[in-house]
Amino acid sequence: MAPSRNRGKLAYKLLFWFLLISLVPMGFVGWHLVNITQQSLRKETLAMQESLAVGFSDTVYKYVTTFRNVLNETAGLDDFVSMNAGKQRQYLNRILLVHFAIMESSVLDANGIEVVRVGRFLGPHPDLRDLRNEEIFTAAMGPRGQFIGRLERFQGLYPAVTLSVPIMDQRVSPPKAVGVVSARVSLNGLSTMLEMEFPSSGKSQAAVMTRDGFLIAHSDRREIYRPDARMPAEIEKVLSTQDNMKGGGELTLGNGKRLLGAFSLIDKLDWIVYVQQPLEAAYQTASEMKAQIFRVLIWVVLFTALLSLAVAGHITQPIRILKEAADRLGKGQFEDLPEVVTTNDEIGELAQTFLAMSESLKEKTGELIHAKQELEKFTKFLEKRVDARTRELKAAQDELIKKERLAAIGQMASVVGHEIRNPLAVINNSIYFIKTKLGSAGEPDAKIAKHIKIIESEIQQANGIINEILTYSRQRELKPEHVLLNVWLEEVLSVYPFPAHVLVSKQFDPKNPAVEIDTTEMQQAVRNLIGNAAEVMPPPKGGTVTVRTVIPEPGWVRIDIVDTGSGIAPDVLDKIFAPFFTTKARGTGLGLAVVRKVIDRHKGRVDAESTVGVGTTFRLYLPTVS
Amino acid sequence: MKLPKLLIIDDDAHLRESLAEVLELDGFECHQAGAAKDGIAASAKLDPDAVIMDIQLPDSSGFQICQELRKRSKTTILIMMTGRFLSSEEKKQGFELGADEYITKPFDLAELSARIKQLLSRNSPKD
Repeated sequence: MAPSRNRGKLAYKLLFWFLLISLVPMGFVGWHLVNITQQSLRKETLAMQESLAVGFSDTVYKYVTTFRNVLNETAGLDDFVSMNAGKQRQYLNRILLVHFAIMESSVLDANGIEVVRVGRFLGPHPDLRDLRNEEIFTAAMGPRGQFIGRLERFQGLYPAVTLSVPIMDQRVSPPKAVGVVSARVSLNGLSTMLEMEFPSSGKSQAAVMTRDGFLIAHSDRREIYRPDARMPAEIEKVLSTQDNMKGGGELTLGNGKRLLGAFSLIDKLDWIVYVQQPLEAAYQTASEMKAQIFRVLIWVVLFTALLSLAVAGHITQPIRILKEAADRLGKGQFEDLPEVVTTNDEIGELAQTFLAMSESLKEKTGELIHAKQELEKFTKFLEKRVDARTRELKAAQDELIKKERLAAIGQMASVVGHEIRNPLAVINNSIYFIKTKLGSAGEPDAKIAKHIKIIESEIQQANGIINEILTYSRQRELKPEHVLLNVWLEEVLSVYPFPAHVLVSKQFDPKNPAVEIDTTEMQQAVRNLIGNAAEVMPPPKGGTVTVRTVIPEPGWVRIDIVDTGSGIAPDVLDKIFAPFFTTKARGTGLGLAVVRKVIDRHKGRVDAESTVGVGTTFRLYLPTVS
Repeated sequence: MKLPKLLIIDDDAHLRESLAEVLELDGFECHQAGAAKDGIAASAKLDPDAVIMDIQLPDSSGFQICQELRKRSKTTILIMMTGRFLSSEEKKQGFELGADEYITKPFDLAELSARIKQLLSRNSPKD
């Protein structure tokens, strides 16, 4: 049986509900956990980034001020004011030797004219510039007492900043600025530091830039060397508009990449330190948690599936067995049903009900089958009855036809007999007259006497034939008499004129059964048979006619009339009881027909058995009476 | 000596004559009639000792003649001739109507003659 399409199997339904019940709260809790984690991670990450940015802004400022201090120390030397240009150059060269980041250093006089200029890539006689209107000079000479600025790409490649401090003449009081010492410092060191702090293998990046977007340092050094080295526009835009000293938040790049970024402003330099981390890196823990939860969920699903299959299997197994049993019942198999488990629950009750139902079904089916068999039996019985009745009717009809035929024959025979008997009587009278006349006139001629005898004999013969026909066709009431068969047969035989060449043997059953017979007709029948027997055993040989009575079965007696004649051929034997069938030269063919008719009228049966050359046995079966 | 008088009634002339002539040989005086009416008339005229009549006659049944003749004479021997089997009923009826004997054609004439003589002798006075 195909499972119902819209309901599914019980096991799968249970599985579905188990999963729903177990997974939905888990999923809900997991989602919340991940969310909370993400939020706290974000907060934490931002805080961390911010503190990193703040820390690094200090470092950057210190890095820059280190070089300013070097310049201050140099300018503050007691004798630097008094040194000649050669000496100052020597000194500056020493500084360049110690501090690799310093690319170039100059001394300006009180008028802002460059008097000493040394540099790593300048050659022995660089141009001396007039910088009196430059901030390098004015700012250092002014009340601020220093200059940090003029960010540029040194040789178009890496960022550099220019520092300058005033040269104070300590010999006068108060000290008086008499010139400026400046240095162009490479800021590559910052990138190196950032790189150490935020290695490229990590996800985090950091950068230092000005408010207007000049990229000073980057943890990824390659960013610095790019021709148009700037931060992505989105970041630059956010950072350039910040008023706070520090802060952070989430932002999305043009390519859809989401970042967590934090910044810190170096207010003395107006530079910004920026630290960023991709959102997914920040959320890594959350992601791991998510993955973990997902794995757990998978396990739960698997476990639940197996569990529910097992449970459903356990629950549905008896039901499956019931189904199988029901299927077999449906096919009409009442034996060898699968053993139905009767547990102590609703399924057990179902099983009990099923067992009761199958028993009842079996019983009912048995009854049905029995009823069907009875019906078939009855139908057969009826058919038999109908057949029997049909046969009876047919027999009755045959009998009627026979009777009608016999009646017609009888009528005709009666008329013919009567009409023939008259001339026969006349002939008989006449021959008697002639014989008498001749006798009175002395001994008649031998031949005439012989012919008279022939005529007399023929008259007898003709009369015999007429008698036979009239006997056969006679319609007369049967007059049964109660006789003892042996006694009656003895009497019949004793009066029969057996010829001398025929011996008679009598073998009578000692029980001497009683029968109810019309003695006139029965005598005619027996005489016909004895007569036939005598006729088939002509002289000189002759023979024996045996008359026997036997009780073949209770309620019946059989009269055997056995001759030792020449026997009857099988093809002839079949026809001998038919009326008008004869093998004799002169015979009506009614002798055995009369026998049959008589025996039939006595509700008996007659048959004959013959062996050619040995003899013939006629058997008459008659019902006995007590 | 007066011969016993026989009347034979039969519509078959040959049978009548042959029977008459045979019985005459045996010493009977035979008269004949071909029909019932003639037979009754002849009987009235002749007063026969015995009447042999066929059971079937064109103008009447032999039994009716038998009845008629018996009415007239208690002693006349009445013998019925028949060419067919008679049932017991018919025979019984005939005897009740006065028949003395039945004979079946063709006859054993010696036996018939002897029978008639025997029946007649019973009626004759013992003298």
